[in-house]
Amino acid sequence: MTYQSLVYGFAFLPLYLAAYQLAPRKWRGRVLLGSSYLFFWSLSGSLIIYLLGTTVFVHCIGIWLEWLKSEQKTALASAQRSEKKKIKSAYQSRSRHVLAFGVLMLIGILAYLKYYNFFAENVTGIFGNILPFTLEEKKILMPVGISFYTLQAVGYMADVYWGKIRAEENLEKTALFLAFFPQIMEGPICRWQDTGGTLFEGKPLELNNLTDGYIRIFWGLFKKKVIADRMSIGVDAIFGNYTSYSGAMTAFAAVAYTVQLYMEFSGCMDIIIGSGQLFGVKLPENFRQPFCAQSAAEFWRRWHITLGTWFKTYIFYPVSMSGPVKKWNQYGRKHFGKYVTMLGTSAMALFPVWLCNGLWHGARWSYIFYGMYYFTLILLGIVVVPLRDRILGIFHVSPGAGGLKYIRIAKTWAIIFVGELFFRADGLRAGLHMFGSMFRDFHISDLWNGGIMNLGMSRADLLAIAAGCVVVAAVGAVKERGIDIRKSLAQKPVFLRWGLYYALLLAVVVIAAYGDGYQAVDMIYAGF
Amino acid sequence: MKKLKKVILFFVLFIVLLWACSIGIQAVVRTAQGAVSGRSRVFASVSAEKKNTIDVLVAGDSESYTSVSPMDLWDQTGIAAYDCGQPGQRIQETYYMLKTAFKTQSPKLVLFETNTMFRDPGLLKNVQLSLTEPLAYHFPVIKYHNAWKALFDGSGGLKTSYKGFEIRNKIVSYEGDEEYMKETKDKTAIPEVVRVYMEKIKKLCEKNGADLLLVSAPSPKNYNYKKHNALEEYARENKLPYVDLNMKYRDIGIDWKRDSYDKGDHLNISGARKVTAYIGKYLTDNYSLPDRRDEDGWQEWKEMAKEYFEELNTKLQQ
Repeated sequence: MTYQSLVYGFAFLPLYLAAYQLAPRKWRGRVLLGSSYLFFWSLSGSLIIYLLGTTVFVHCIGIWLEWLKSEQKTALASAQRSEKKKIKSAYQSRSRHVLAFGVLMLIGILAYLKYYNFFAENVTGIFGNILPFTLEEKKILMPVGISFYTLQAVGYMADVYWGKIRAEENLEKTALFLAFFPQIMEGPICRWQDTGGTLFEGKPLELNNLTDGYIRIFWGLFKKKVIADRMSIGVDAIFGNYTSYSGAMTAFAAVAYTVQLYMEFSGCMDIIIGSGQLFGVKLPENFRQPFCAQSAAEFWRRWHITLGTWFKTYIFYPVSMSGPVKKWNQYGRKHFGKYVTMLGTSAMALFPVWLCNGLWHGARWSYIFYGMYYFTLILLGIVVVPLRDRILGIFHVSPGAGGLKYIRIAKTWAIIFVGELFFRADGLRAGLHMFGSMFRDFHISDLWNGGIMNLGMSRADLLAIAAGCVVVAAVGAVKERGIDIRKSLAQKPVFLRWGLYYALLLAVVVIAAYGDGYQAVDMIYAGF
Repeated sequence: MKKLKKVILFFVLFIVLLWACSIGIQAVVRTAQGAVSGRSRVFASVSAEKKNTIDVLVAGDSESYTSVSPMDLWDQTGIAAYDCGQPGQRIQETYYMLKTAFKTQSPKLVLFETNTMFRDPGLLKNVQLSLTEPLAYHFPVIKYHNAWKALFDGSGGLKTSYKGFEIRNKIVSYEGDEEYMKETKDKTAIPEVVRVYMEKIKKLCEKNGADLLLVSAPSPKNYNYKKHNALEEYARENKLPYVDLNMKYRDIGIDWKRDSYDKGDHLNISGARKVTAYIGKYLTDNYSLPDRRDEDGWQEWKEMAKEYFEELNTKLQQ
């Protein structure tokens, strides 16, 4: 069962909503937890053991860290002033070891399940002749959502360690935080502060939440079923047989896949966030008009926001504050000046972030390349700032001048499209081949001389995609202006408001790509 | 409370809107069945048949519409039959297919090919089908929703179909064991969801005054003795007539070297004609179905039969 399926929206959700509402308030959290486990089990069967194991483990680590904190407090209260520093340091060291144990265990499980075969294949490929043993590839089954709930679990432990939150004493609450069914497959990657407290409150259902939630779900279905699933037909055709297509068609594939991925992932997020809203749970947003970004760095602050935030909080900041980086800062300022030191610091902190970003998406060299691609571009963005400002100064143009904005957006689009080309390509070699073909064999006329029309998408499909994109872009433009569409719609006359809602509902029923001639398309991010 | 009333009104209006769209789209597909493609087309086609002109509905999956040729049946017995099976039809689809057909037709017999009775797509798919099929039945705009595409892509045109039957003259012999019906006492389980829907199908046929006949088409790939036992037991328990043509394929004259379309899965035209001849005799012996050949108002059938035999002769000469 996937979030876009009819069973989810019109059987699973209503059933759970009814059970939730009928249950006494103190039992509602348990209803959500039971529903979440049932949902997970329906997707991954007995692999639910991984989720259960992670939950108990993380809960214990949290309590252990909290216990160390209270022990430290007690020890400090009765200690002499001269001993306090020593005690503090001793407890900090113990806490660090507990956290390291917790993180290593969880990341170890994820690494084994997700990367073992990649590791084995590469080790055998590189050192096969000199190693006395061979690493056999294994058939490893991975539970759905492990990449998402593992990050949440690590974040939770780190936050307890840093004292940002208190460890949860109720195992059921920790369990629901990790397993809440709308987010288990594709995120958003929540921090305890986002949902931990509210999930178990058992607030009664509210009509406003139900209507707004379902409208958001339909909006997500529109993006996924009207646009993304249609686009996937053409995208699969080109990427699946990339050597047969010219540069222009490859460029089209890069754009088409970017559109597909955005509509699919942000559409699923709408369904997920809408589902949470039905129960009165506010899940964090994962997208904020990413195609309005003026740089690669800004794009990542608008695209898969919760993943970016996680990396920033749990990798970028800790690395920036780590001993080696601090030492480099002192050394660099003395010997190389502010600019070079800042570049070095940025590189040291950004490198692990982008390496992890690439690897998080999967065990493939093309994903590592994807991470390094953004690492290089973002670092380059920092490197060229003084030079850019100097050039603009010569021409007396302010960096914030209106016209430059559109040039920057266009540049960012090009960066995004190329990045997604490598991301989607069937391996790094295929990605490089496709990228190269755009320079070797580019004839724009290929697009209309049978190119696009021969990808399996009919004229009507292309029309539906184009019209759908216009609608999504228009909504995005309104949101970018800071207008809250739902609030703004609420003030409009009822016939206009209802007319728009009916148009949305009917578009999903009539225009969506389902039924004869269409295959159900799996959720892309659920595979990561 | 005011807000709740508004929400209810919103949904009521939405249902009215869906209903209106359904009426509109049904009118469109009745005149332009080519606008509906794929598995849904048979729903549009059977709905487009002139009222009360079908005496036997042949239902089931692909085994059904590759085994019974309505035009041969018409030519030999004057029985007006229609193949309304779908590829890989699930039992929920069979039920709603029959409901759709009963809206405009009053068949005296439903001949149900039994291969569907062993198809269980799993719990989730069954839940989904049990939701989508009634929805699509009550709101055909869901079933025919892709018809809008014909406005831009043009109509897909109608494949030459003779009351749901197509002439398939390819031969890919079945080379396996001809004694595939080896006697055993074992039984293949009939899924619970199938039993539930079979009960509904039985009641639906009763309500509409149609007899229900279970038939297993000859198919070494799909049938064996275990299935035969299960079906025979089911038929006995439910007091339904059951004919397993796999037990009689030699009597029918099936030659697996010549009569198979795809290695013993489906029959080709030669096999279908032999099965149809056998079924025709069975129906005339066991049911009092009208011979329409000399009745007025059946010109379309006569003309279609003529076209059918012309195409048949052309294809057989190839």
